[in-house]
Amino acid sequence: MKFVLNYIRKEEWSPYVAGVLLGIVGIAAVWLSDSLLGASGAFENIAGMIGKAVAPAAFDNMYFNFIMPPGITWGVVLLIGIFFGGMIGAATSGTLLWGKKGAANSDAQWKRIFGPQTWKRWVLAFVGAIILEYAAGIAGGCTSGLAISGGMLLAPAAFLFIMGMFASGILTALIIYRKNY
Amino acid sequence: MTNFVLSLVLGVFFGFSLNKAGLTKYNKIVNVFRFTDMAVLKFMMTALVVSMSGLYALRGLGLITFPNVPATYIVGNLVGGLIFGVGMALTGY
Repeated sequence: MKFVLNYIRKEEWSPYVAGVLLGIVGIAAVWLSDSLLGASGAFENIAGMIGKAVAPAAFDNMYFNFIMPPGITWGVVLLIGIFFGGMIGAATSGTLLWGKKGAANSDAQWKRIFGPQTWKRWVLAFVGAIILEYAAGIAGGCTSGLAISGGMLLAPAAFLFIMGMFASGILTALIIYRKNY
Repeated sequence: MTNFVLSLVLGVFFGFSLNKAGLTKYNKIVNVFRFTDMAVLKFMMTALVVSMSGLYALRGLGLITFPNVPATYIVGNLVGGLIFGVGMALTGY
């Protein structure tokens, strides 16, 4: 028991142990509520809800009416859970930076590559997140919703997505890091 | 309602495992593309293997039916993945 508690307090688990935990969560999601884990769809549900309220005409299209219906869906609640789960994870290992100085830009490697300015982190996160969400919309899911959830059902889509993701990810990293790659 | 409570609990465990595997950190995500830290792949593939074998075993026992499998449209999945990788390497999410 003490060993388990000490392991929970550890900041970084073996990726294999954490992976087993996620695998069990993935099974539970299908078994208990017949749903697949995923994060990017929930953002579209929320965006659709805001869009329908602000500009109903612009959001009255195929995509938001049928493919991604707006509203508080299973995925939105899951997303709230993910947020708090991440916080609990950080809190148990004493690395929670919520409200602390420099929390928005705390990664040493990021600072070394892009510089220490926090605004840069915000801008790049914003631009990058638009790219991520847009791509997830095209592919039909993100890392969790398509690559992991689709992969565990052996969907070909998931493996095509993983291939594309790594090909361009490696290329982008190569361009950003150049000599330091 | 029970479904929402369930998804909240599952989400907490999902976020918890992501955090403990270090996937909430920029350097973990980017370093997998630089081949200097393969934690992301180890984590993803372990999760895949565990849930894959678990789900197919449960379906074999007749305990579950699969939900809608994500649709395959080769160009869309591939192009989506290609754009996704750019965003992933830029932000580290």
